[in-house]
Amino acid sequence: MIPGGGGAAAPARPVPRDALRRQAPYLFGLAPAAILLAAFFVGPALWAAYASLTNTALVGIDAARPRFVGLANYERLLGDPDFANVIRNSVVFVVGSAVIGQFVLGLSLALLIDHAERRGYRLATLAYAAVLLAWVNPTVIAGFLWVAMFDFYNGSLNTGLALAGTGPVDWLGQFPMLSVVIANTWRGAAFTMLIFLGALKTIPSDIYEAARVDGANAWRRFWDHTLPSLRPIGALALLSITMSTFGTFILIQTLTNGGPGTQTEVIALYAFHEAFRSYAIGYGSAIAVVMLLINFAFAIVYLRWSRARA
Amino acid sequence: MTAVGPQAAVQVDIPPPIRPRERGTPLEWALMHLAFVAIAAFFLAPFVWLFAAAFDAEATAYIRVPGRLTLDNFTYIFRELAFAKALANSAIVAGATTLLVVLTVTLAGYGLSRLELRRKGWITFAVLLLQTMPLSATMVPIYGLARLLGLRNSYLGLILIHAAIELPFLVWLMKGFFDSVPRQLEEAAWLDGRSKLRALFEIVLPVARPGIAVAAGLSFISAWAEVLMVIILVDKQDMKTVPLAFYETFRTAGGYVEVQYGLVAAMGVLYLLPVMAVFFATRRLMVRGLVSGTKGL
Amino acid sequence: MTRTIDRRTFLKAAAATGIVVACGGDQGAPAGGGGTAKGTISGTVTVSYADEAGLKPKYVQLAADGLRAKYSGVDVKIDHQKIGSGDFYTKLLLALNAGDVPDVIHVGGDKIGELADAGHIEPLDGYLKQWEDWSKVYPDAVKSGVTYQGKVWAIPYGLDTRFLFYRKDVLDKAGVGATWTGPKNVDDILEVAKAVKSKVAGVIPYALYAGPAGDSGTANHAFIPLLWAYGGDLQKDGKWIGDSPALRKVLDYYGRTYRQDLSPKEILTTAKPWTAMREKLGLKGELALLFEGAWNYGGWVTKDKAATERNVGYALFPTATGGPSFTIGGPGTAWYVTAKSKNKDAAWEFVKAFNTKEIVAKLNIEDPHPVARTDSAEVAEFKADKYLVDSTESLKKARFAPPDANFGKVIGVIQKATARVATGEMSADDAAKRYTDELRQAVGADKVITQ
Repeated sequence: MIPGGGGAAAPARPVPRDALRRQAPYLFGLAPAAILLAAFFVGPALWAAYASLTNTALVGIDAARPRFVGLANYERLLGDPDFANVIRNSVVFVVGSAVIGQFVLGLSLALLIDHAERRGYRLATLAYAAVLLAWVNPTVIAGFLWVAMFDFYNGSLNTGLALAGTGPVDWLGQFPMLSVVIANTWRGAAFTMLIFLGALKTIPSDIYEAARVDGANAWRRFWDHTLPSLRPIGALALLSITMSTFGTFILIQTLTNGGPGTQTEVIALYAFHEAFRSYAIGYGSAIAVVMLLINFAFAIVYLRWSRARA
Repeated sequence: MTAVGPQAAVQVDIPPPIRPRERGTPLEWALMHLAFVAIAAFFLAPFVWLFAAAFDAEATAYIRVPGRLTLDNFTYIFRELAFAKALANSAIVAGATTLLVVLTVTLAGYGLSRLELRRKGWITFAVLLLQTMPLSATMVPIYGLARLLGLRNSYLGLILIHAAIELPFLVWLMKGFFDSVPRQLEEAAWLDGRSKLRALFEIVLPVARPGIAVAAGLSFISAWAEVLMVIILVDKQDMKTVPLAFYETFRTAGGYVEVQYGLVAAMGVLYLLPVMAVFFATRRLMVRGLVSGTKGL
Repeated sequence: MTRTIDRRTFLKAAAATGIVVACGGDQGAPAGGGGTAKGTISGTVTVSYADEAGLKPKYVQLAADGLRAKYSGVDVKIDHQKIGSGDFYTKLLLALNAGDVPDVIHVGGDKIGELADAGHIEPLDGYLKQWEDWSKVYPDAVKSGVTYQGKVWAIPYGLDTRFLFYRKDVLDKAGVGATWTGPKNVDDILEVAKAVKSKVAGVIPYALYAGPAGDSGTANHAFIPLLWAYGGDLQKDGKWIGDSPALRKVLDYYGRTYRQDLSPKEILTTAKPWTAMREKLGLKGELALLFEGAWNYGGWVTKDKAATERNVGYALFPTATGGPSFTIGGPGTAWYVTAKSKNKDAAWEFVKAFNTKEIVAKLNIEDPHPVARTDSAEVAEFKADKYLVDSTESLKKARFAPPDANFGKVIGVIQKATARVATGEMSADDAAKRYTDELRQAVGADKVITQ
């Protein structure tokens, strides 16, 4: 909206000098953030993009005399069977812990707690606080806590199983992906829960009243009215947690560091290992660039989808 | 990305409609309370170990009933491991980062929201995408840059980088928030004769308070937890923050003995409490802010 | 608005330039020799090292004090990082690449090749010519351990050797006998492990390092000795050996070990599994067999000398067919002078100040390693310690990994292959074929042969 004017759209031609002066304050407002982002994100991203086209390393002859190798790193990546495994692991991890785990669990929690508030059940607050605590604690602690839970010999989970009479489960050894999915779901459910809770509170109650008058039962009310109202915000939450889960790293590193062998080696961890265990910076950067491109693809899909709805 | 318009702003301010309390059936009561107990148990279970081990004289990596209760773990980390300094460093860095972030993202979010630019959507999108830049790609260049600017082993460096990490998501969030605050508010103020800046502070910001609370809360939590950037920036013992101390202690064995789990747990407990406090203090504002911020998108 | 853009562009340009300069490196590094202008020794020397066990700091301090006493104009800044050597090395590399250069560094002697190729370290031959000790008390075998491309790059002091440690009390309970002095051949190790598994509850039979979690231990303390035991080798005529009959047997051994649950899967996921394993064997008696660095014995003795001597036995590693036992040796952690140091002469003086007969002897008595200097080995306390004497003797039967700049990369390939077989992801034969492919990728196809 142009200040003072009618509902004209933003100008589609080069902005005249007068308009520039008008815009200046906003640009100044952007400046501090822009500088920080340029220095610590854009700059390094460009550096990484360049590095991915070289064979630079932290040590060895490639450290002293790195060569420009063009797309060789990318070719190697695409042909590497380990990479296919890494992508597979990443997809499983994201679907498992973000889509099924955090999203569905978060939504369910939000619905439960919202419903409980309407009924006046106080115990909901305890559950609410517990979920938040899991989210708010620093990641290094979270990883540590779950190592203790999953430990084979005397971990909390196996101790509980022993009390129940069954034998211990080798969580991290035999079910590494399941274990990290559980830990990550535990960690991130709060975010979606918060978003949905807030969204649920702003759904006007007259919709429900109208539906009830119409004779719809609780389930219908939920399916036909609640869910659609939540859809836009849900899509946003889904995009957000997909992108951030894709980059999860410390939690998995602490629990399995890629799993026995490579069973939980997700892409963020793979990039880290190549860069800081094998010291192959060029190759590690190529992996990072691929990660960025994949996220870019996610975001485009979301944008298309959200534009279509609006 | 259309703004929802005045409706949204108005709705945010009015407290949520009080729905009539309907009594549920006893079965419903039982099932729901069962669910709550199960949920609380699942989410709290790992912390049981933390608190048990912190007070355990011979703590282990797995949960056990403490044989001997003690406060020794706590006194040890303060006496021998300079935990007080690490805690102080964390507090200083997280606090200053929060201030810097709030200032920066408010200005940037407002600016981006009010800016007239054809491809503005793309910029917003690009900013958010930056968030997904993986650490391993940026560790080496940031190390070089930090060294070049003299930011290593300094509070300034830690604060700047901790702040930068939070920017993409929060700028995006604040922009969305400001989008839902109608321009009429500022325009009315300009027509009244106030300058742009005054209008911003006196009229717009009060409306934006929930969003600012979100930014503050989220950035504090993140800054408190950040470890990978600290690894790059710090190698002097007295500049360590707690996550780094934690990370190093966990990945290090003290000599020929395994990690001292009691000590690590004690550090964990002390580290957890402040962030819990901050979060619970601001949670109501934060929830409102999160919702309003994401609505305008 | 112009101001903003200028600032942004300037910062970006500065950053880009800075990084290119820092990472591009000084292409014209002077060729070896060191010890150019013999001016006065002064200025600051920064010494950077990692030590978790806490035994080295007092000796480093001693060396620093000695240096300050000898040259009044010298100051020594000690940067002691209390982190693991792996993490320390990564941080060090980041620092060296960015231009943050300490004068003296302390890392494994096996890193010589890769550090030299990267131009991070200074050859010491010039200095050595003027140091009597080098020609008098350092044996040729030790010297060749730190020689790469005809130059000497580091000064070792405590050499690495390894033993197969075993718990006498556990083996006794398993029916193997309290007088067991070592396996007859490699399969014997598995036989003993099986006996422990079936007869002694709550004890891990065997710890066979596999995968990246084991770090260099996967190669040095597990894979390589087995490869040699089966008659294979890492290199032949300067080329790396990929698939070979010996390799397949080694991978098969891994498969058998893990399939029969003789070695715990935790090794594959725990961070730094050796800390838990050594504590279990030496202090708790919860592990029966472990091939590890000889220096671990020192930690056990410090905790409980009597119990250790009673319960822990050590032997050399057997071959597949019952031939002469052997072990794997190494140059140990060594002292280097960095190539971009601004005070190389003083740095060298520090290295000399540390590597005196007394310091070398005393440190290696506390942290048991065979010594690099023959005169340190003659120190009475050293000669009186049976374990130290045995360790030094073992070096006579030790084989060494090739001092190759690509060794680090080969270790990575070894880790992947062992992990695949240990987790059961691949059969030994498939893993062997992948090993060759990955080896070619790591060091270049022209440097790999198969047998």
